[in-house]
Amino acid sequence: MSNELSSRRRFLLDSYLGLGGLALIDMLSAAEPMAARGQHLRRKAKSCIFLFMEGGVGQMDLFEHKPMLTRFAGQKIPPPQGTVGEIATFAAAPNRVIPPVAPFRQHGQSGRWMSNLLPHLSGQVDKLAFIHGIKVDNNNHGPAVYHTLTGNQFPGSASVGAWITYGLGSENRDLPGFVVLGDRRGATIGGAGVWGNGFLPAAFQGTLFRNGDTPIIDLRPREPAETQRQELDLLQWMNQRHIGERTQTSELEARVASYELAFRMQTKAPDLADFSRESEATRKLYGLGDPVAEPFGRQLLMARRMVERGVRFVKVLHGAGGDRWDDHGDVAGRMPKHCHEVDQPIAGLLADLSARGMLDETLVVWCSEMGRTPFDNNLVTDKPGRDHNQYSLAVWMAGGDVKPGATFGETDDFSIRAAGEEIPMRDVHATILDLMGLDQHRLAFLHAGRYKKLTDIGGRVIREIVG
Amino acid sequence: MDMRILLAALAIPAFGARVDFTVSVKPVLDAHCAECHSAKNKTSGFSVESESAVIAGGNKHGAAVAPGHPENSPLIKVLTGAIAPRMPFGKTLAKSEIERLENWIRNLPASSAQKDGEWLWPFQKPVRHAPPAVRDPSWPRNPVDAFIAARLDREGLKPAPEASKRVLARRLYLDLVGVPPSPVEMEEFLNDNSAGAHERLIDRLLHDTRYGERWGRHWLDLVRYGETSGLEGDGAIGNAWRYRDWVIRAFNDDMPYDQFVIRQLGGADEHSQTRNNYPVDVQGHVPLGFFRVAPWDRSNLVADEVRQNYLSEVTTATGSIFLGLSIGCARCHDHKYDPLPQRDYYRLQAFFNTIQVENSDVPYREPGFAPRADAQIRRYQSLLKDGPEKIDLDKLERALLPKLIAARKSAANEKTDLTKEDLRLEMRRGEKSVFPRGVRERHALLLEDANRTQDPEEKDLLDEYESGLMAQLKAEYARPGVDPLARFDALTTGDVRAEAGRSSSKVFNAKERDRHAELSASLEVYRRRLGRWQPNALTVCNVPGPPNGPFPGPTRILTRGDYRQPGEPVTPGVPRVFTAGSEEQAGMITDRYRQFPTRGWRLTLARWIAHRDNPLAARVMVNRVWQHHFGRGIVATASDFGKNGERPTHPELLDWLAVGFMENGWSVKRLHKLILASAAYRQASENPIAEAASKDPDNRLLARFSRRRLEAESLRDSILAASGRLNPEMYGPSMFPKLPEDLADFARYGRGGAVMWEPNEKEEDARRRSIYIFQRRSLPLPMMASFDAIVFSESCDRRSTTTTPLQALSMMNGDLVHEEAEFLAKRAAREAGPDRRAQIARMFEVVLARPPAPIELDQFDKFKGTMAAVGRVLFNSNEFLYVE
Repeated sequence: MSNELSSRRRFLLDSYLGLGGLALIDMLSAAEPMAARGQHLRRKAKSCIFLFMEGGVGQMDLFEHKPMLTRFAGQKIPPPQGTVGEIATFAAAPNRVIPPVAPFRQHGQSGRWMSNLLPHLSGQVDKLAFIHGIKVDNNNHGPAVYHTLTGNQFPGSASVGAWITYGLGSENRDLPGFVVLGDRRGATIGGAGVWGNGFLPAAFQGTLFRNGDTPIIDLRPREPAETQRQELDLLQWMNQRHIGERTQTSELEARVASYELAFRMQTKAPDLADFSRESEATRKLYGLGDPVAEPFGRQLLMARRMVERGVRFVKVLHGAGGDRWDDHGDVAGRMPKHCHEVDQPIAGLLADLSARGMLDETLVVWCSEMGRTPFDNNLVTDKPGRDHNQYSLAVWMAGGDVKPGATFGETDDFSIRAAGEEIPMRDVHATILDLMGLDQHRLAFLHAGRYKKLTDIGGRVIREIVG
Repeated sequence: MDMRILLAALAIPAFGARVDFTVSVKPVLDAHCAECHSAKNKTSGFSVESESAVIAGGNKHGAAVAPGHPENSPLIKVLTGAIAPRMPFGKTLAKSEIERLENWIRNLPASSAQKDGEWLWPFQKPVRHAPPAVRDPSWPRNPVDAFIAARLDREGLKPAPEASKRVLARRLYLDLVGVPPSPVEMEEFLNDNSAGAHERLIDRLLHDTRYGERWGRHWLDLVRYGETSGLEGDGAIGNAWRYRDWVIRAFNDDMPYDQFVIRQLGGADEHSQTRNNYPVDVQGHVPLGFFRVAPWDRSNLVADEVRQNYLSEVTTATGSIFLGLSIGCARCHDHKYDPLPQRDYYRLQAFFNTIQVENSDVPYREPGFAPRADAQIRRYQSLLKDGPEKIDLDKLERALLPKLIAARKSAANEKTDLTKEDLRLEMRRGEKSVFPRGVRERHALLLEDANRTQDPEEKDLLDEYESGLMAQLKAEYARPGVDPLARFDALTTGDVRAEAGRSSSKVFNAKERDRHAELSASLEVYRRRLGRWQPNALTVCNVPGPPNGPFPGPTRILTRGDYRQPGEPVTPGVPRVFTAGSEEQAGMITDRYRQFPTRGWRLTLARWIAHRDNPLAARVMVNRVWQHHFGRGIVATASDFGKNGERPTHPELLDWLAVGFMENGWSVKRLHKLILASAAYRQASENPIAEAASKDPDNRLLARFSRRRLEAESLRDSILAASGRLNPEMYGPSMFPKLPEDLADFARYGRGGAVMWEPNEKEEDARRRSIYIFQRRSLPLPMMASFDAIVFSESCDRRSTTTTPLQALSMMNGDLVHEEAEFLAKRAAREAGPDRRAQIARMFEVVLARPPAPIELDQFDKFKGTMAAVGRVLFNSNEFLYVE
């Protein structure tokens, strides 16, 4: 394919983006869907590492210092205003306030209060910007996970990573543009839908990566490389003959190219999981060597290696099976364990990105599907926990144009819901898109008669945390 | 609400006949008004010279006519004196003349008030225009071609030459039955040199039962077909496969499309005009799966919200699937582009207000199916009762019980404080318990209530009672002669089950736990299979309504679509754009015996949609069929005929086909035949005139056939067909093709480790056609997903076709191609004998439906790989993946 032609296609693709629609679908099948495309807005971030803690993290145990919870420990909370559904029911029923699992201390220049459960992350606190009191559309895991990761509580919509790769393509042509690093302990709620392409073309679906020899499904060749190459040569000979007899062959040519790319991926992708070249200091930074922190540490080291190679969006999942952050019971026992699993790796990632000068170009997002209640309705158990709370999600971001040390929003004294204006999840999505240089309204796709957007009716970009 | 008022207000859609302006209206106006209001004089800017001029009105009163509403029309008001000065000056029109004008206005479609930029074509009934004349009359084979050729003539383009018979055969097979022709089938067609061979092949394929499996899949895409909830554990939602089978049969039986629509929306909703207490046809519940196969939120949230989300989904789907309108956009606000106000969205939704989401038993009526299902039901009942796994599990649990009891006793020795668990165990000892019967019974009652209701208040009552007993328990245990450890003898195999399910159990070793899990999983799979074979259908029923239940509350307009902000109530009715702006039409199809007031609502809507007067139903379906044959619809946005959609490339052709479709009894097969027999369809995919590509790169005007990639299903089915291993078994519960090993941890789900991907009843089930793959929303087969199979969560009117390296990886290294290439090699050896070149040639014929060219034969012969490798190369070739 001549350069001229491919740049023309790229130009066309750029001009179709933002219009969305059939024309784009047709263009994509012919052109290269993962070709890098320009930002709508000039932003520093080129890649995004999206850390997702599944199960609903208790914000008041980690990031929101609420002394009232200690003062009211064991008592029923005063009736909260402005909640409906489960939370209203739970708060009205007999309950007792559960104090934070660990004490809080102030850290860094920003003087932010952080739980003692996160000693490593506390050391990086000046890099972070927090949003508190985010409201999610549903109080159950499945729909809430869909909402936070795809903008819609029902399955079928495109995930954040799909939108961003749809908007920006990818810088690396030998690896997928959107990679998912799953928790090997089990599947995520919602399954592949949470990194799916939804109504966007399949090229934008996340590719599940695992640690080990075959990070991608069907990556491992069944024949020796030489044999496979011969097979591939015969295939391409045949395809070239086929192309030679035809006109309008860009799609056929793209397919020929995709086989060469796949062939290269077979060697490039396992390289990613080969940490032998990483220094001992780097490995330690991510908590490798500490058996509790190592699994997540490996995921994050892999994530850094990916963005280093130009992968556009890396989604890292933590929490699966019985090890979700779903602390209905024994929050005091479970929370420290899960914090131990992620604290050093996340702090290590931030320090490492920063030391390598990559933090400016990498947006790091930390998110869960909901927050938790400050109380437990179970009055007798000796190992109390917390219930789901769709009104109190906390999210932090770092890197790119994020304003370090900023905070927007806060929950009330009991951390039930936003003290001021409720922040809908779409505002967070709008902010993420903005930080990636994408205008939420231009990033649209015509589907079944509607221009679909990640933020649906549009969210407010939270300028307060943008530098 | 008063039933009579409601029923009277229910809008039944009728379509008033439009009054001809020139014949009926113009003479009246000419006689009385033209003196001052001619085109020339145009006093006050008003002229009666044409229909549009009258409607547009003059300077004084603006638009003179409100279509559908004579009482609001300034024209009438002026003529009757309601607006002064009364016109015409010094004269009064005869009552009959005014009535004539009123009648004209009453029947004017709302579209007459069209403003610039409005797009009202979709709302106007299709008219059958005569096929146009064309420059080269030798080309058209039927009227379809006249429309195509006339358009090409206008652009100065010429159609491509006819494709070869070989290309046409492969095209027709893949298009109609979803797999390429076998060498025998190809041979047969090539040898038929008589006239009409092409048409006969079409007929044969339309009578092939594989047709329904191919075209049924297109329909399933539209109706967002899936078999699990998609949310919160992604559990199975019921026997969705019965709806899927109904769709396949409907296509194979060429069920008239109007019936097809009516049964899906209005099944089991009929009345009898002659019989009281008339029971509906229970078989009518199967097609109602339409209302259930979407993702299903079972969450324990606010009931009103869950219900509204459900109704919104159904309303939106109905609009886009059957009417090609994005009516779902009007849930929160008036439609931004089309004349669909929010009020009409809720009036449409109101038809579904009688829906009660409930599965129901529907006996198998399909020939031969009941015995097949009965045998399976008996089989699984017996396996669950005393099959080998059940016997082993019972044996294992009995064997583990003493171990559990011993472990608990020894643990209790080290720990002295008693908990409520201990209390509950003591209660289970029956007569041996330290508590008297009365206490035990009271406790059992409280415990059951608390567990059943999960109500905090019930739990408090239990807690309180138990707390009171704890002291007594301690005292009893302290008494001499009482063995506190005896409480653990009350443990049962149920406790063994619970303990075995704990991954951290220290009582049982890993081997015991694994064995227990394995046997339990087998039984769980048997339970699921039993459920799947039982004649239960995923469906909806009607709420009972009076006299057996309360009347459902009225549907209300929701401000910003928010269930917490209900506004004005509305009654069921179709969008006013279809009824000349009127809400009040004839009544609902109701029960003259007043026995079932909630019956007939859905049916009313269904009959309106599938009525010949509906301007969209036929057009939308015809366009979908056209899209699948040519790769692009005449309206390219097949589920959006509205302003925001694409404009039709050949509107007269679409209308001609739509009217013909209805006149031919809504026969989809006759429509196929007409399209497939056309010269337009028979074109080659290359047009030797270079202009064809440069002037029309997207091939909107069809100066050639658009090459296109196989869909995921066709690809998989074609590979299996080529290896000779496609299992043709039709219908019945879905199957589970092999998952890549890398997804093993995905096949489990969450805490319980519930089975997400099951073994098949028979090995060969995994090789059935792709339409029978179990559609687990959270776990699509990676290969299918990479080839753009839908996510089966939203209605999909057109698959995208992307090109990604993941597709190449799955085709190069995946299980399917590898396994089937081996079988293909065996097949070639069997059919072509030991000669390598003969085997290669056979593989070309089987996979690509053509013999190899000499140079290809040489090249493949030189290739050092195995015969299976030859098969892999062919399966991976672009030629195999594309239809020409």
